Amino acid sequence: MRLAILILNGLTQGALFFVLGSGLTLAFGLMQVVNLSHGAFYLLGGYLGLAALRLTGSWAVALAAGGLSIALLGFLFERTMLFRVRKGGDLSQTLLTIALSMIIADLALAVWGGHPLSIRGPAALSRPVTILGITYPGFRYALMAISALIALFLWFVLYRTRFGMAVRASVDDRETASALGVRIDALYSLMFMLSALLAGVAGVLGGTYLQLSPGEDTTILTYSLVVIIVGGLGSLLGTVVSSVILGQMLSFGLAFVPEMSMFLVFVPMAIVLALRPEGLFGRRT
Amino acid sequence: VSRDLLRPAKVGAGVALALALVLMPVYADPYTLTTFIRTAYFGFLALSVGVLLGQGGMISLTQTAFFGLSGYVVGLLGTERGLPFPVPELLGMAAVLALALVFGLVAMRTLGTVFLMLTLALGQICWSFARQNTSLLHGWAGIRGIQPPALLGVDLTGNANFYWLSLFLFGLGLVLLWRLVESPFGLALNGIRESPRRMAALGYPVYWMRVAIFLIAAGYAGVGGILACWSSGIVTPTTLQLSRTIWILLVVILGGARHFWGPVLGTVIALWLDVVISQLTPRYSTVIGVVFLAVILLAPNGILGFIEEARRARAARRAEMGGAGAGERRAP
Repeated sequence: MRLAILILNGLTQGALFFVLGSGLTLAFGLMQVVNLSHGAFYLLGGYLGLAALRLTGSWAVALAAGGLSIALLGFLFERTMLFRVRKGGDLSQTLLTIALSMIIADLALAVWGGHPLSIRGPAALSRPVTILGITYPGFRYALMAISALIALFLWFVLYRTRFGMAVRASVDDRETASALGVRIDALYSLMFMLSALLAGVAGVLGGTYLQLSPGEDTTILTYSLVVIIVGGLGSLLGTVVSSVILGQMLSFGLAFVPEMSMFLVFVPMAIVLALRPEGLFGRRT
Repeated sequence: VSRDLLRPAKVGAGVALALALVLMPVYADPYTLTTFIRTAYFGFLALSVGVLLGQGGMISLTQTAFFGLSGYVVGLLGTERGLPFPVPELLGMAAVLALALVFGLVAMRTLGTVFLMLTLALGQICWSFARQNTSLLHGWAGIRGIQPPALLGVDLTGNANFYWLSLFLFGLGLVLLWRLVESPFGLALNGIRESPRRMAALGYPVYWMRVAIFLIAAGYAGVGGILACWSSGIVTPTTLQLSRTIWILLVVILGGARHFWGPVLGTVIALWLDVVISQLTPRYSTVIGVVFLAVILLAPNGILGFIEEARRARAARRAEMGGAGAGERRAP
């Protein structure tokens, strides 16, 4: 019974990791830029979702508001700043995202203060659900389902649409794809926006299941980075596998060695990097 | 370069600056002195980030972990267990080098953005360990009441004596780093920064050289950490948190990472900016973030890089005007 609960906790955590990691890894695979404000996007998305919830009382509206507002922010940031330093190489772009994360985190602290806040989940999911004799919070089941739907959606977009085809072609060979008429700049903007959208959505999901507080942005960023490094940069399947593994590590770590739970995620990362620096499902470059 | 250094005006300015620094406790108020002490220990941290970025082309976000680790060891063994100087300090440096070896062996398998992500994760893992561990490291509270030892009978708890110690150590650190940068090892590192593959083809042990510079950089951060905990008396998870790591990276880029004096200049500017901004607004991080954005967008090579480009552009213009000043143009 307790074992089942621990596994479910790990799956819930892993579901959140997947929503966070998938956008980050897809954007990296295409643009070679890692968005280090992903954690700040998560936190801000959660806070904005909370603001929307207080206004309208609807959790669904909060989810949409958190996701879409961050998608817009990501779009504007990519178009006005990130785009300008593309010639400076991937490191300048990455540094730019660090600067943005600093500003967002500090302004969020100014607006929402230092106390942990949390988003009240939808009423329909507030009761525990019993499946196969195991009673577990309904919202957590919903989180797993949402995460699985997002995975299916991303798979569909990537492998069954023209946009996805253009993305995959550009990942393989940017010059050729561009010569064949793929508009790389537009592709980058859309991908960065999609990645930001997922961060914002994750913020509302995480704010409902966990808490929103200053400092959460860097913790979330760290987990996201570990997830995509272990899974292999740019790999959707890798992100699924590493999210599940790290979710379980964290759940069991918190239960048995709470003082070292976060230190534990270092172990799989170090092992994977030592044996396969490109990650579990990454491509050798 | 050596001919340039021997110009009387430059020698005069150098001597005047050195005198002003050495005599600081005589004429400056305690607050200024404390700010200069902070400049010295954060300067070590900036050199640590700067040597990796400037010489090796690597952006590491782990350096504050080493800065905090040496402080924690000194606090644990010196203040809490009462081991005499220099045992905790030496063990602290040994711990820093051991951790840097482990991290370096893992991190040096990667390059560029992946290296940056990985070092960020490593640094964050250290931070969360310090935060979560209550039995040994006391979680958020950290370790308090750390005091500098008496060295050769000289009491270092006084501001002036501590300032002189910091100044001496920082000067020594700069001289050693200068020798390193100018050595064949330093030049080979520059080669690795520009093209790791070519250097490997030439027979250089690229991986191990990068591990070596990572150890040296960690050592600088470790020394800075010891000075910092002696001076401030405390070491907490805040000592190694990410905002500190980002701040020191900004400092290095602000000054000019490719230039030897860039990290030092950046530290001086940022700490005095801190003094000024903190009086005006509690949103120091926002201001620093905006400065960071502006520097990356407008002057990606930092202040020293900006000056150098301006000077080169002027020399080029002069050469075009009739070759009058063309002889002055030097190779960078």
